[in-house]
Amino acid sequence: MDITIKDLEHLYSKGTPFERIALKDVDLSIKQGTFLSIIGHTGSGKSTLIQHLNGLLKPTSGSIQIGDFHIKSGEKEKRLKDLRKHVGVVFQYPEHQLFEETIEKDIIFGPMNFGVAEDEAKKRAAHLIDLVGLDQSFLQRSPFDLSGGQMRRVAIAGVLAMKPSILILDEPTAGLDPRGRKEIMELFYRLHNEENLTTILVTHSMEDAARYSDQIVIMEKGTVALQGTPVEVFSDADALTALSLDVPETMQFIHRLETRFGTSLPKSVFTLEETVEAAVSLLRKEERS
Amino acid sequence: MMQNIIIGQYVPGKSYVHNLDPRAKLLTTFLFVIIVFLANNWISYALLGAFTLSAIGVSRIPIRFIYNGLKPILLIIILTFLLHVFLTKEGPLLFSLGFIEVYQGGVEQGVFISMRLLFLIMITSLLTLTTTPIDITVGLETLLGPFKRFGLPVHEFALMMSIALRFIPTLLEETEKIMKAQAARGAQFSTGPIKERLKSIVPLLVPLFVSAFKRAEDLAMAMEARGYRGGEGRTSIRLLKWDAKDSLLFVLLLLLTTALILLRS
Repeated sequence: MDITIKDLEHLYSKGTPFERIALKDVDLSIKQGTFLSIIGHTGSGKSTLIQHLNGLLKPTSGSIQIGDFHIKSGEKEKRLKDLRKHVGVVFQYPEHQLFEETIEKDIIFGPMNFGVAEDEAKKRAAHLIDLVGLDQSFLQRSPFDLSGGQMRRVAIAGVLAMKPSILILDEPTAGLDPRGRKEIMELFYRLHNEENLTTILVTHSMEDAARYSDQIVIMEKGTVALQGTPVEVFSDADALTALSLDVPETMQFIHRLETRFGTSLPKSVFTLEETVEAAVSLLRKEERS
Repeated sequence: MMQNIIIGQYVPGKSYVHNLDPRAKLLTTFLFVIIVFLANNWISYALLGAFTLSAIGVSRIPIRFIYNGLKPILLIIILTFLLHVFLTKEGPLLFSLGFIEVYQGGVEQGVFISMRLLFLIMITSLLTLTTTPIDITVGLETLLGPFKRFGLPVHEFALMMSIALRFIPTLLEETEKIMKAQAARGAQFSTGPIKERLKSIVPLLVPLFVSAFKRAEDLAMAMEARGYRGGEGRTSIRLLKWDAKDSLLFVLLLLLTTALILLRS
């Protein structure tokens, strides 16, 4: 399902002394299968934007189209529940949403709400618990006995169990250790590719955005400040600095490498592995000459 | 839905009412609640109404906020009114429809009681709308200070209240967050028969309790870590200052009380 956002505007506490613009003039189009990262400072409107994508928030003006669902200000989309079946959201600190007695029951809560048969839902739970790096013995345990990181994984499994075609991730790795962070992001990326998902990732990590995205959107004060492919966005170092955002560490390194050796490397190098490779080949070349 | 809850809904402003000492406002509200019961005829109710409305006017709080505070009890007011209209059988008969008989005394009583409730809620909402929760707490603590001698745990009481008030917005935010997370997983809170609706609250309440307890533990730990040992010898960062404008309020209140007593029939 393609997503088209037109002139989206959202005001919080409309018509009170607390009124505040959260989003303004947001236009985006996201093709099915895209991995999109949204970057921006706290309060730039990232979380507000993604809550529009499954009808949790209604635009104060403008419109959103997701597949054949339309969300417009003032109009009621009657099939919100249908829409939510297709759009899975992993909120910030999703472990706060756990409530059932057993982990299995919690994972099947989503699918059962959307009318999936219990057997099928349990099958999904059994499959997903492995996928998120826990094992079958966890299914019958209480989610409240787990560590924070494990609870996070269970909560993520609970969203994935709905088999959404659009997956929205709001800082899914915040507060995890570096290893857990990498495992979780790799899991999302694998699912993204295997299931041809549309993934929208809200993140503060330039590295993650550079590594996984097809498209990057930078939000600032409720509007889209910059958008494009990672190459386009990250090569515009001046614009990033103007928004007081960092260039990914790998790119900073490459930039310094380029000045040091007086050469230029291909612009498409982002991941740590690619950077290492580029640096090594550069050093080899240097050695030979 | 969350916007309707008025507790802790302080609306910033710089009006006369905003600037009053919280102690003055608390005492006035308390006394007002008592003198409302002095009124017993049209003139005295009109006077109370004039006082209430001018207080709201002076505070420059948009009338919508006052209305929001009234909404939850509007039903009770209407119900009280109807009960009085149909059940009080005093004065001349106004009209009768079959077995329903409406007397003039009933209508009057209905109007009076509804007005009494309206004024009470309006004035108490005005207190919370123009005073920050912290100011209310500090005001209460100083007002109740003398009772410490009789073993009343005033400081603990004030602390409990300020913590409770402080966490109302946090809990509301948390509720909204969890509601959204569960709604995204297909939970529905507002439709279906009452039994279903009660059941649908479980996914909301459990996480809310879990996080509230965790928050309480964290808070206790943070307070102890910063050396909190109760109210003994503790001074407040907020110094309350009683001046002419606060005394003026009492003069007004005294005038109102005298007038009410004189106008009573």
